[in-house]
Amino acid sequence: MRPLARWTLVALAAAALVTFPYWSAPWESTRFATTLLRDGLILAIFALSLDLLVGRAGMPSLGHAAFFGAGAYAAGIAGQRLGTDQLPVTLGAAALVAALLALVIGVLVVRSEGIFFLMLTLALAQIVFAIAFQWTAVTGGSNGLSGVGRPMLATLDLSSPDLMYVLVAIAFVLSAIVVWGLARSPYGRALVGVRENERRMRALGYDTARLRLSAFVLAGTIAGIAGALSAYSTRFVSAQDAGLGNSVRAFVTVLVGGAGTLAGPIAGSALVSLIERVVPSLLPVELRISEAILGLMFIAFVLFARQGMVGLGRSAWLRVRAR
Amino acid sequence: MAAGARAVIEVRELRRAFGGVVALDGVSLKISEGERRAIIGPNGAGKTTLINILAGEIPPTAGVVRLAGQDITRLRSWQRARLGLAHVYQRTELFSPLSARENVALAVGARRGPYRVFRAPPRSEYAEADAMLERVGLAGREAVLVRALSHGERRQLELAVALAQRPRVLLLDEPTAGMSPVETARITELVAGLDRALTILIVEHDMDVVFRLADRVTVLHEGRVIADGTAAEVRGDVRVHDVYLGKAVTVA
Repeated sequence: MRPLARWTLVALAAAALVTFPYWSAPWESTRFATTLLRDGLILAIFALSLDLLVGRAGMPSLGHAAFFGAGAYAAGIAGQRLGTDQLPVTLGAAALVAALLALVIGVLVVRSEGIFFLMLTLALAQIVFAIAFQWTAVTGGSNGLSGVGRPMLATLDLSSPDLMYVLVAIAFVLSAIVVWGLARSPYGRALVGVRENERRMRALGYDTARLRLSAFVLAGTIAGIAGALSAYSTRFVSAQDAGLGNSVRAFVTVLVGGAGTLAGPIAGSALVSLIERVVPSLLPVELRISEAILGLMFIAFVLFARQGMVGLGRSAWLRVRAR
Repeated sequence: MAAGARAVIEVRELRRAFGGVVALDGVSLKISEGERRAIIGPNGAGKTTLINILAGEIPPTAGVVRLAGQDITRLRSWQRARLGLAHVYQRTELFSPLSARENVALAVGARRGPYRVFRAPPRSEYAEADAMLERVGLAGREAVLVRALSHGERRQLELAVALAQRPRVLLLDEPTAGMSPVETARITELVAGLDRALTILIVEHDMDVVFRLADRVTVLHEGRVIADGTAAEVRGDVRVHDVYLGKAVTVA
């Protein structure tokens, strides 16, 4: 496909996605699809940010929810303490807090690799979770932080479900553009080099510790933005948002979709959202076991399809073309 | 060493112990600008340890390493690379799922640094990578993934990656190891034809390669320099024959 045609197609798809609640209204009266898509897109932003680490830079983090949670709390707390629902303030607070937390944790973890990196990120994120769970005066502790305000943009009130969706969809499109722009650039190429052979990258003159730290902070910041969007959407922050379950959920999403690709985390988010929200409603009450289904699916992908849904699609496409 | 020539690499009283094993036991040497220096010696003499210390891969236990007069003993490998040191490893160290072109482009791009986002890497970097691949005899193999290259081709690619750094000093750790005679001859002529301003330190077992390339030869034995001179001088040195060159003859 010619570049112009491709870009036109991508722009049209993005426009269709952002305006979904308006053209779907006639047949979607309950707004279930809009809510489902909104939460799926938040998961997609979160998964795209994690894939910068897992897929591109080869840093398998099991603590990414710490930054999602930090962003969610920061947006909620900043709004309540400063008495404002202005989007630049609360979203800015979320990005800043998540970035600073990622910088602190990143400094401690970027020099370790593989299973050690995994365990360190897990342990440090559990500390963040413990703080969120127990610092009741600030975070609401086990009760969570309720009454998070829906954002305002100057005088534009984004509190309606439709506009809330539009905000999330725009954030998703921008995140995808950022991740795409990073992946194709010399920066993305260098991350792949670090993933494949860090020692050789150092011998070529790359300060690989700084490169890994920059990716960690970047990914943490985007995860914090996803967390803020989640807090606005549900008007609530739970300590579980920063917990291991949420980290695993993002990790599964990336691996099931296909790590190291742009489409993979997005496809994974679609599948995980469907399994979490749609499949249970089709099953009898006693069989509502979406987490077990997700777990089994994860095992199946790890055993039989390491490249995830994107890899399966690619090999199917190659087989069709070969005929 | 040519009298008065500036030492690009200067090593003084270098020691390195691995636990109780002393790999380098007080090695000193000077390599002047544009010189081609071979390090020879039997297995376990400390040759690779010396190269790894020069490249900053492992720290010395004691001693000083200078590059063009600057003390680089405490610098990390990436800092040394930026000062103009390139290292071709004994075992192939490449980016295996990437193409030959991408491998070299990573070296070319290192000079401008990785903090460039959104735009695709400039075409000039890939053009430079392709030119470098052609120079080492890999023209037509640019798009081939490393894992699909033969062992000999990987060694050629290693050299292309190192040269793409535009180094001042090239450290070659057995560049012809495991190569066929034809491939060895090609790599040897390639290295012989490099810019004379480039300083080359080469560890090599193949004496034909050593005597073809080296201006001077340093002989290591059990972590010490036992001979240091022109190729002809070293060839005539009795001690060198005892520990190394003559061994094959004695055994036969």
